[in-house]
Amino acid sequence: MRAVGSSIPRVDARHKVTGEALYPGDIDRPGQLWLRVVFAERPHARIRGIDTSAAMAAPGVVAVFTAADVPNNVYGLNTLDQPVLCGPGAPRGMADADIVRFVGDQVALVVAETETQANSAARLLQIDFEDLPVVSDPLAAMQPGSPLVHGYRDNNVLLEYHVRTGDVEAGFARADVVVEHTYRTGAQEHAYLQPEAGLSYIDALGRIVVVVAGQWVHEDRQQIAHALGLPEDQVVVRYPAIGGAFGGREDMSVQIVLALAAWRLKQRGIDRPVKTIWSRRESIIGHHKRHPSVVSAKWGATRDGKLVAQQVDFTSDCGAYAYTSTKVLGNATLACLGPYVCDNVHVDARTVYTNNVPGGAYRGFGGPQGHFAAELQMDRLAEALGMDPLELRLRNAWHEGSLMATRSVLPAGVTIVPVLERLAAEISGSENGGQSPRPSPQSPVPSPHAPFLTSLDASAGRRLRGTGIACCFKNVGFSLGYRDVCNATVELYGTGEIERVVVRHAAAEVGQGTHTVMAQVAAEVVGVPPEQVELIVQDTAETENSGSVSASRMTFMAGNAIKGAAEQALARWQDEERPAIAHFEYVPRATTPYDKLTGQSDPNITHGYCAQAVEVEVDPDTGHVHVLQVISVNDVGRAINPQQVEGQIEGAVAQSVGWTTHENFVQRDGRVLTDQLSTYLIPTVVDVANVKSVILEIPDPQGPLGARGMAEMPFIPTAPAIVAAVHDATGVWFDEIPLTPERVWRGLRAAAR
Amino acid sequence: MQPFDYVKPNSLEEASALLIEHNGDARLMAGMTDLLIRIERGFFHPRLVVDVKALPGMRDLLVVRNGDLRIGAAVTMNEVALSPTARSGWPLLAEGCQSVASYQLRNRATVGGNVCNASPAADSVPALLCYEASVHIFGTDGDRTLPLAEFITGPGRTALQRGELVTAITVPAPARGAAGKFLKLGRTAVGDISVMNVAVLGWPDKATPSGSQWRIALGSVAPTVIRAPEAERILAANTSMAGIEAAAQAASDASRPIDDIRATAAYRRDMVRVLTRRGVEGVLAEIGEQANR
Ligand SMILES: Cc1cc2nc3c(=O)[nH]c(=O)nc-3n(C[C@H](O)[C@H](O)[C@H](O)COP(=O)(O)OP(=O)(O)OC[C@H]3O[C@@H](n4cnc5c(N)ncnc54)[C@H](O)[C@@H]3O)c2cc1C
Repeated sequence: MRAVGSSIPRVDARHKVTGEALYPGDIDRPGQLWLRVVFAERPHARIRGIDTSAAMAAPGVVAVFTAADVPNNVYGLNTLDQPVLCGPGAPRGMADADIVRFVGDQVALVVAETETQANSAARLLQIDFEDLPVVSDPLAAMQPGSPLVHGYRDNNVLLEYHVRTGDVEAGFARADVVVEHTYRTGAQEHAYLQPEAGLSYIDALGRIVVVVAGQWVHEDRQQIAHALGLPEDQVVVRYPAIGGAFGGREDMSVQIVLALAAWRLKQRGIDRPVKTIWSRRESIIGHHKRHPSVVSAKWGATRDGKLVAQQVDFTSDCGAYAYTSTKVLGNATLACLGPYVCDNVHVDARTVYTNNVPGGAYRGFGGPQGHFAAELQMDRLAEALGMDPLELRLRNAWHEGSLMATRSVLPAGVTIVPVLERLAAEISGSENGGQSPRPSPQSPVPSPHAPFLTSLDASAGRRLRGTGIACCFKNVGFSLGYRDVCNATVELYGTGEIERVVVRHAAAEVGQGTHTVMAQVAAEVVGVPPEQVELIVQDTAETENSGSVSASRMTFMAGNAIKGAAEQALARWQDEERPAIAHFEYVPRATTPYDKLTGQSDPNITHGYCAQAVEVEVDPDTGHVHVLQVISVNDVGRAINPQQVEGQIEGAVAQSVGWTTHENFVQRDGRVLTDQLSTYLIPTVVDVANVKSVILEIPDPQGPLGARGMAEMPFIPTAPAIVAAVHDATGVWFDEIPLTPERVWRGLRAAAR
Repeated sequence: MQPFDYVKPNSLEEASALLIEHNGDARLMAGMTDLLIRIERGFFHPRLVVDVKALPGMRDLLVVRNGDLRIGAAVTMNEVALSPTARSGWPLLAEGCQSVASYQLRNRATVGGNVCNASPAADSVPALLCYEASVHIFGTDGDRTLPLAEFITGPGRTALQRGELVTAITVPAPARGAAGKFLKLGRTAVGDISVMNVAVLGWPDKATPSGSQWRIALGSVAPTVIRAPEAERILAANTSMAGIEAAAQAASDASRPIDDIRATAAYRRDMVRVLTRRGVEGVLAEIGEQANR
């Protein structure tokens, strides 16, 4: 049996299933103290002063830390714009660190003997707030005279991108049909099983060790060291088992404050570990969300279905701090055009500060918001042209050698057409399900692709059925000029034969199965069974930088790095080196940033492609939308572990069904009204559709053994496909998600009037 | 969360004495699925929590001599939902209990706790109101029994006096040929608290113009679960399409919902109409089927 291509059990499965795996909150050390973070709980305010005396005097309290204790009171993954602790008095850092900009800003740390004592004392903190005007709508935040979220800036627009290609006005003049609509998507909470937690202590070498869940050990270490004003080798970041991430652990939550507390205590002669566990509510207000978006799109096509103009205006709600907003914006700027060839393109995209919980990374990273508009524009064009939506997509889809709107040739391995063609085949194939096919009322022109399920007017004539499709592209790896790298070391031990293979790699196992994939790639290249591979992973003291588990990049990047290291180690083994050890730094082809005025660039290393068909049932009286079935066709280049690929597809679809139909994150004037999982509902197992995963393996020329990144892609088409299916069922277009029953109820009633 | 002491008394007298002794600082607990959350979120600060589960009669689930179903206050939702007796004789109640949260939660959550918590969204209450259930109360001044409609006095409020506790709920057997439908509207298919719900009970009665009698209760659309008497009257007179529409509208008019994070009042009001109509249609179909047998 080959190591690659088989669904071997996950290397972490046994420990996780038996409960042996320890997550950050499960880990204790002797003598540990408990840390409670005091959150601002106000969307915009100035902290005039903090009186810690009552809290300090409370039973069991060992220390209370405030901004004055932070050596360098500023941090940020890409943009340094956030204080570690809000308040006056830090020696260095942000000049206006005394400003609170969202409810989840951290103000103080109470350290006590027990968790209960820390909680009680936290309530005794006297914080003198002066409330400031709140801006909670990104469009309002762009208006002149809006309150400024960051006072030193001229306005709240953090970043803008522009794409100017061809001449859109000339394009619209040539168009036989033009469709123009405004689309809105909501914030989404990651709702990972494991809320933020961790432990920090000083080790025998005097280093600060932080045991925490994250997505990029080396970046966490860099941010901790920066805020503490220490060299990076003074800090060790180690990930134990991680209870999900989905992008939600890309930015700091407990990392810096845990390290700060352990370090400051040690300076006071108290050498004790410090632990914290956030409640679900703290997790929900304390970490970022998927960016809400408002996208206005005007597209034109000729009668034969050729796209001739795409004009898009994209705005995302950045919230109080940048987090990954600028990078998400970079992706969305192209995602809002879809995987289509068009000579005349005009995009204005921006991300805008508000006093909301920050927007940030979440599976798809700008792809879902962009494609929501792009794919629904394609459906509207198809409707206006009387053309089958799949046919319209095929007529405009990228081919090998096509130019992107950035005027660069697409990275080789363009497979959106075969992906769409396979979807069409799947659709006509599933007609044999025993139900009679039904002519689609939306396509007067006979469609070459028959609708895949019947539109059944269910039992009492109450539920309506409909189908819809959508597709997408997504970049793999970091984009737009960021120098992406990934390191790996492979060590071969034995005398005559290779008995043991050790792989050192920093990649975080967040549940996606990356460690299993790494073992499989190493085993394949070295030629041993995967059980012989030992992994030393996710620890800055033991591994070198691998970048984050994000951007669907780790199989692609780690695969290439491990393959490179394994090949070199094998060569040394053949040269009789014992042990044979090789290190490899994989650097993919370089990308370039957007030109400021035109957007010209070579934006992405490579892409993955996905297309989906969805069948829904709508209760027109209550507005409930139930997604019955999703067919997801994914080109993954090479399925290193097919079961893990299916897991990613099913998980992505489930999460996207949630974003589209159930998950309604409500903020009012900067306050979070859905701060529990009883008010913010995610789909249950009964709500999630049947998913048919169709895996294509068309090799990516740059991919390790041909593999492409794939884990975000199946999230992206689901939302527009559901909206198209709801339209097919009801005749009504919904331009805003989530499709809560009440929103659908309102839409259907408005249309009936 | 503020720490508290826990006791598990063996007699009703002892439980009552503890409540009186701790005067407001003690709380009764059954499954604790409501209480613990309230303590954790700082709404209640009891110094003592008194477990009722070991008290005599609290776990009884049986049909008593007059044919009533007697549900001890600590009988769980799953015990009712899965009980063959309840399912055959009081199916509307079994449906209501079955609709609560998840299987795991229903193993702890009790009917007594659901009733005493007095939430307008309590899913066992609409059925109990349709069956015109009674609540049995133990107190140092003696036992008393109240109709459920009088026991629940407001959102989170009951008629319980100092030192009193609920021992059981009795549910009269429905009339011969009765059928019921409990329809719960949640945001997810399972597990959500009712955005609103409707319980409809109907049975054949030759004495009415329509040939049937009706009880309708509405949850989560008023400060307490309410009956819809006007709708019931309309259906006793007329169960034609027009009668059903008029009853559904009357139920909707009886509701006094609010806007909250889960839905607006306007949506809830219309859902009372929609679900009442569906409930009545469902019950009619069942009664009709039985009549045809
Ligand atoms: C995740 C979750 C989901 C839920 N979903 C639903 C749902 O779908 N539908 C629904 O209706 N409810 C739901 N609930 C609420 C709760 O589970 C029910 O109300 C449950 O029936 C309460 O019963 P209990 O035994 O746990 O009550 P407890 O929490 O033990 O008690 C509730 C209240 O009753 C008082 N009490 C208990 N026993 C007595 C007694 N014998 N005499 C006097 N007072 C007493 C207590 O002091 C307390 O004030 C949910 C709760 C959770 C946590």
